[in-house]
Amino acid sequence: MSECIVVTSGKGGVGKTTCSANLGVALAMQGVTVAVVDADIGLRNLDVILGLENRIVYDLVHVIEGECRLKQALIRDKRAEGLYLLPAAQTRDKNSVTPAQMRDLVAELKKEFDYVLVDCPAGIEQGFKNAVAGADRAIIVTTPEVSAIRDADRIIGMVEAAELPEPHLIINRYRSKMVRRGDMMNKEDILEILAIPLLGIVPDHEDIIISANRGVPVVFDESSVVGEAFRRIGRRINGEPNVPELDFSEGNGVWGTMKRWMGFGAVYGVAS
Amino acid sequence: MTELFNKILNRRESSKEDAKQRLKVLLIHDQVDLTPAQLDAMQDEITAVIQKYVEIDRDNSVVRLERGDDRIALISSVPVRRVIERALPA
Repeated sequence: MSECIVVTSGKGGVGKTTCSANLGVALAMQGVTVAVVDADIGLRNLDVILGLENRIVYDLVHVIEGECRLKQALIRDKRAEGLYLLPAAQTRDKNSVTPAQMRDLVAELKKEFDYVLVDCPAGIEQGFKNAVAGADRAIIVTTPEVSAIRDADRIIGMVEAAELPEPHLIINRYRSKMVRRGDMMNKEDILEILAIPLLGIVPDHEDIIISANRGVPVVFDESSVVGEAFRRIGRRINGEPNVPELDFSEGNGVWGTMKRWMGFGAVYGVAS
Repeated sequence: MTELFNKILNRRESSKEDAKQRLKVLLIHDQVDLTPAQLDAMQDEITAVIQKYVEIDRDNSVVRLERGDDRIALISSVPVRRVIERALPA
């Protein structure tokens, strides 16, 4: 049975699009078919993060307005078997689409794909309403900051109001060093406040910026700790909820380097 | 343990507790749509009512909203100095 998951956050700039792109790839890597949908009409970016921006001919609004068939607008990602992107329109605004139209579009996509991932725009207005319209469940992305968590709390309420099941949380841009010295809220602090189940933690890492520069999602990089974090989240989404959390606390620094020398395998380990 | 180290090294207090406390207050106010000033006013009025019956330690009184699992509760801790003696109703 196929499923539509909306990736949302309330606040902008917390990494929704990065999460959508990487989770789309992570799922496809497991052999399922995935359509990632950019619902941020007017400010499309998912194409850029995926490195597919040069291949756009038609977009979501063209499909909805009947100017092309759905299949014509879907861009196949040649690097990940089974992954397709439906880009947003760049020159239109959020009001070009209604929640009912989005529901129909998602229903069409669900006939063809195992997963439909919708990258929701920031904010709580029309764009959010469109993005959640066809969703079966939601993933909330936040960072360990007061403003992002506040907005996440607001969005959790709105997801519940939209009668979706309890959403799951991704904590993005986690900085273990700062957490250790008490200058960043840790996993437990955030879960205590937001009180929804954790889907995964993504460490703050320069790999993210490098991969965005190149248009190659970091999840393709087998040696990247961030890539591994996304691969594990992908597995948790796709029927393996108990995949252990990464321990990225010693990814760098003296101890991490020693561990690598001593042959503890990968750069990253498994949290105890 | 970290706190102990911080004390030994005389380091500043960690900022994450500030973040957490501010967030907790913020989320309650977002939900009940009550400003801190309104909460203060409420606290003043509540203590004024209590003071009609008992003598209280105002400096150590707390009235605040707290989030539980699925509801917000008004938590108050008002130390009583002594019961004000007054005539019982006939």
